[in-house]
Amino acid sequence: MKTNRKAFLAGSALGLLVLGATSATALAADELMGDFTGVTLQAKLIGGNQYEPLYARITEWEQATGGKVDIISKKSHFEIDKEIKSDIAAGSTGWCVGYNHTSFAPQYTGLYVDLAEYLSKDTIDAFVPAMIGASTVDGDLVMLPRAQFDVSALYYKKSLYQDDARKEAFKAEYGYDLAPPATWAEFKDQAIFFADPPNFYGTQYAGKEEAIVGRFYELLVSEGGAMFDADWKPTFNSEAGQRALQLFVDLYAAKAVPSGVLSYVWDDLGSGFASGSVALNLDWPGWAGYFNDPKESRVAGDVGVIVQPQGSSGKRTGWSGAHGFSITEGCANKEAAASLVWFLTSHDSQLIEAKNGPLPTRKDVWTDLIAFVHDSGDDYRSEVLTAFQEAAQHAFPVPQFPEWVESTNLIYPELQAAILGDKSTSQALDDAAERVADMMADYGY
Amino acid sequence: MKRKILSPPVLLLLPAMIIIVAVILLPLLLSLYTSFTPFKLTRPDTFYRFIGLRNYERLFTDVYFWAAFGRTFVVLTIALNVEMMLGLGLALLVNRAIAGQRTLRTIMMFPMMFSPILVGFQFKFLFNDNIGLVNNALQSLGIAQAIPWLVDEYLALFAILTAEIWSSTSIFAILILAGLMAIPRDPIEAAKVDGCTVWQTFRHITLPYLMPFMFIAMTIRSLDIARAYDIVQIMTAGGPARRTELLWTLISRTGYVDANMGLANAMAYISIFLSIFFTWYFFRKLMAARRYMGGAQ
Repeated sequence: MKTNRKAFLAGSALGLLVLGATSATALAADELMGDFTGVTLQAKLIGGNQYEPLYARITEWEQATGGKVDIISKKSHFEIDKEIKSDIAAGSTGWCVGYNHTSFAPQYTGLYVDLAEYLSKDTIDAFVPAMIGASTVDGDLVMLPRAQFDVSALYYKKSLYQDDARKEAFKAEYGYDLAPPATWAEFKDQAIFFADPPNFYGTQYAGKEEAIVGRFYELLVSEGGAMFDADWKPTFNSEAGQRALQLFVDLYAAKAVPSGVLSYVWDDLGSGFASGSVALNLDWPGWAGYFNDPKESRVAGDVGVIVQPQGSSGKRTGWSGAHGFSITEGCANKEAAASLVWFLTSHDSQLIEAKNGPLPTRKDVWTDLIAFVHDSGDDYRSEVLTAFQEAAQHAFPVPQFPEWVESTNLIYPELQAAILGDKSTSQALDDAAERVADMMADYGY
Repeated sequence: MKRKILSPPVLLLLPAMIIIVAVILLPLLLSLYTSFTPFKLTRPDTFYRFIGLRNYERLFTDVYFWAAFGRTFVVLTIALNVEMMLGLGLALLVNRAIAGQRTLRTIMMFPMMFSPILVGFQFKFLFNDNIGLVNNALQSLGIAQAIPWLVDEYLALFAILTAEIWSSTSIFAILILAGLMAIPRDPIEAAKVDGCTVWQTFRHITLPYLMPFMFIAMTIRSLDIARAYDIVQIMTAGGPARRTELLWTLISRTGYVDANMGLANAMAYISIFLSIFFTWYFFRKLMAARRYMGGAQ
């Protein structure tokens, strides 16, 4: 999910180390090392090549503290989620440090400790406040976010906007100048205008599971709607919801998206845009390097990135999430675990991760990263970072309740039914709302 | 007073019985119990809340569950029949090969060597509407439209069936080939002497001999397909809009992604009836076929 394929902010390691060392002096209180000789921490982490540079740093923590880390599980996001749920059911939660994600954290009720009890205020304050907010469930800081923050900005094929014939034809048809879309209404016009199926598509979207519900959710918010009211009653079948869903329906009906889009998730979307057959692509920061890598992508050198468009309410889309680390209640040495979690999310760790593309969650890392990228003179990297920095300002997490994932499984087949024309948008959303309301009632909401 | 001890046969069987109880009976009873609870993986306390038949009552009125049940039945019926016909054809062809029969038998088993997950990915790529081989081949033949193989209800089921049939036809072929090799030559030669045509020989001698083998293959595969999960999950995950939802994609999502293990177990117990029905049906046919051939009752 939201993979980052290639290092896109690869640069001088020496420069990063210098930056890290400079900032470290300013972080005296934001420090949580100690002597943990003889302590072995068991950890369950998300697996994947893009996460390895951080895990390689664990030996540094071991050398500095005398503690040991035993990684007992390293799996994909959904696999580790299943494993953690099975552990909760079986009561096998004696391991210490676990992978977590802001979208999934609320469902692990009672599993993780409140990290605020183990971290200094300076440490917590060093993070972007919205990230701390998204990592807090029922008042408990259940995870500390690493530099794997995701929010989507809009990638587009630049050459399409430099073609005079296209510009003229677009203006004649739609009455305004062809420029990268600032609103979702413009996005729709342009996606339909650029489409030439089956050779070229205006855009694409994630078509199933939590992915399509996440996209629907952010469009709903940008249209002025909300998933639930204050009493957790579903409200996504509002007029704003219908407008949001209508965008998916219209793009599909106009063949502006590939006909198989309802089976697409992140990898399909990334490879689709890199194949050069898609004009506009709302996507995660981790793809930036891959899209502009001539060895991997046919659009390399022709990629533009801007902040995500805004909906009719004036709000921008901004569904976001962040990976993080948590400590179990059953952990025998929570102080050592807190030290490891701090280390894995510290300034230096985040800078190392961020140089490969993902976005940081610490304020000082943002500052250092922007300075570093601007100094590097790489215009594409600067454009990407500027777009995502602005995108991050509009970011918001999913509604924080334990049954979010379960609710998405009730909603997405109905969204698909509307897109395929099996149901009207209002019927599909009403059916989804009814099923979600039943589920919420079961859980005592 | 004489102490009662267990008889030697019971004592000898005791370890096996204990293992069977521990690894089969206890999990079965436990899962049956959870089907009467609202057990949610992430809320262990729900394990102890007994709600009687509520999960079953809910499922009996759940149209999506019964749609998945019906779809599984249809997929199972089509896959079994097509695999049997193709397997029979393959076995008859290989049986007639004069040279290289061993090599052919090995090649025939190749699809069985692939993991279902790999088969799922292969066929997902083949049937991808944008970059898939099938659509690209059709486009080179002048068909300009991108066919949404994994989206259209019938085409998606066709694509899934193609993957299932490709990967498992060889099970039928191998079992039927074993049957063909076991057929005595005398009745076939007698039929030839009596002037039977090739079709008559096949219909009245070869086929009755093969029927027990076919029913054994069908029983094994019916249990397999009723539990079909990997290929479907990879290719369509039961979608879009539940169009390819089969029982085990639904059960797995309910049990693990939604963490509703109690409800998922209730679904699983109802779905077992599908397997029981097909097993009972094929065993009846098998016994009838053996009686026809004068075999043991």
